[in-house]
Amino acid sequence: MRKHSRLRLAIIYFFAAVLLLGTVGPFLWLVSSSFQYERQLLNRPPQWLPNPIVLDSYREIFEGAVLGEESGVPYQSRIFLGSFGNSFAIAGSVAAIAVVVGSLAAYPLARLNFRGRSVLLFGILASRLIPALSLAIPIVLVAKQIGMSDRLITLVFINLSFVLPYVIWLLQSYFKTIPLELEDAGRIDGCSRLQVVIRIILPLARPGLTSAAILAFLVAWGEFLFALLLSETPASYTSTVVVSLFATDVDVNFVSIITAGVISVIPPICFALIFQRFIISGLLSGSLKG
Amino acid sequence: MQTRPETQRKEMSQGALALIFSAPAVLIIAATILAPFLMAVFLSLHNWNLKRPGRERFIGLENYTDWLTDSDFWEPLRTTFTFAILAVIVIVFIALLVSLLLNERFPGRGVLRALLLVPWAIPSVVNALLWKWLLNPQYGLLNAIWYDLGIITEYQNVLGSMPSVMIWLVIAYSWIHIPLATLLLLSGLQTIPSDIYESAIVDGAGIFQRFAYITLPMLRPMLSIVIIFEMIFALKVFDIIFVLTAGGPADATNVLGWSIYTETFRKLDFGAGSSIAMLLGAITLGMAILFYVFLDKGVER
Repeated sequence: MRKHSRLRLAIIYFFAAVLLLGTVGPFLWLVSSSFQYERQLLNRPPQWLPNPIVLDSYREIFEGAVLGEESGVPYQSRIFLGSFGNSFAIAGSVAAIAVVVGSLAAYPLARLNFRGRSVLLFGILASRLIPALSLAIPIVLVAKQIGMSDRLITLVFINLSFVLPYVIWLLQSYFKTIPLELEDAGRIDGCSRLQVVIRIILPLARPGLTSAAILAFLVAWGEFLFALLLSETPASYTSTVVVSLFATDVDVNFVSIITAGVISVIPPICFALIFQRFIISGLLSGSLKG
Repeated sequence: MQTRPETQRKEMSQGALALIFSAPAVLIIAATILAPFLMAVFLSLHNWNLKRPGRERFIGLENYTDWLTDSDFWEPLRTTFTFAILAVIVIVFIALLVSLLLNERFPGRGVLRALLLVPWAIPSVVNALLWKWLLNPQYGLLNAIWYDLGIITEYQNVLGSMPSVMIWLVIAYSWIHIPLATLLLLSGLQTIPSDIYESAIVDGAGIFQRFAYITLPMLRPMLSIVIIFEMIFALKVFDIIFVLTAGGPADATNVLGWSIYTETFRKLDFGAGSSIAMLLGAITLGMAILFYVFLDKGVER
């Protein structure tokens, strides 16, 4: 029996190692490359670990952001940090607003009895079936006409409408797990519905709110299509747009491109690993990052 | 009705509350999804080309009939399905294997499950950049490894020819989609009671028999959900095409998502672009319903 279980563990760890290599391997190679000299990347066999650790490409991005054209670094490197800030502003606002607006909408769906409840829930979810590409065309047309193109606020609203259905779904299923008695006690003490939501439901739903906020942040951070179509100047570029500008430009050296990619995934990967419990529970309650 | 004014008033106030509470969310969704959708339908029925301003006019279903008789629609449609079917097979197959592994108890399982979130968290554009780098014809790590192993005698540009470009596109796309599918399947596996396995072992069922007669049937509802979701996502693919292949080489990876983009934002033909977008939407919805009915029926049997 002992021998059997040792064999079982050996097989499991073999496959676990393969999985580990496949999961983080490609990404670690990206990180390792970003710390090497361009010419070292041509080494054969490949140089797995950077030696020495070269920070030139990281310095370029900071110098470019501060000095602008004087720094002499490629255009994309100069605008990258600004776009990184834009991504933070957009994804942060989306997460904050989505949780507030989403909680308000989720509460009646979880707790109130009203005509059209299932229609509302179904309608909100069904809005996600429409392909973003078909919405992009009229949105771009209208945004340009009314002067809403090339503005961060437009991207905040568009991302909101993509994440709200998931956030509402996740929160209404979370709210349902909160015992009704606690709410009734508050009602007897004279709380209004809004006070019940703010004082009783929301504090108890903190894990659900955390999951919702992080998922909203990650979706908005990775959004590309609308960020590409609705930005005209670096003032509203997000980091995904600048990464795409890098990746489709053959004249820029590889290390700069890779470095931009690495920096732009630091926030989502940190979030994912720090909040992994919340994310996994959020994902499994029916929320998905497309 | 008049005999129960109390309950009726309460009913009214709950409905009113629901309306007020959900109004902000509904307004945002209506303004950025419902209104644009209706406008996209409107555009698709018009001749609307920004290169020829002032000539916008209603043409009924002409955009649609034009596409349906044009190989510029059918070729990308075939490419889209080739891509989507391959991607769903790769994603579901690997996710199933990984979820079976993670369903076993062993020290370090939690860490492995958490690390699955690394590819999941990577934005699709950065993922495309990562694979463009790994597959680079001069510097690419994969080329270096194949060369050192003696599989190739000179560096290959796998993104430059068929069928290798399609294969690598599917692999790159699947890499960030496998984690979510895995977590969903894992949650499905964890709902299967362990005593069923134990009694099967007592009855002398081997590992493959247990998989075929217990795991697979009981996992089927979750498996159906994963297949439907992944199919919907894959049919709409765009981001990775934009960065990795731009529809090339020679239209080999020109999926409908890419056609909509070039038609609308490069040729500026908003009417034509909207009508393919509608067709893609209808196809996606149709596939979702078809899969739902087909897979759901199987569950009942």
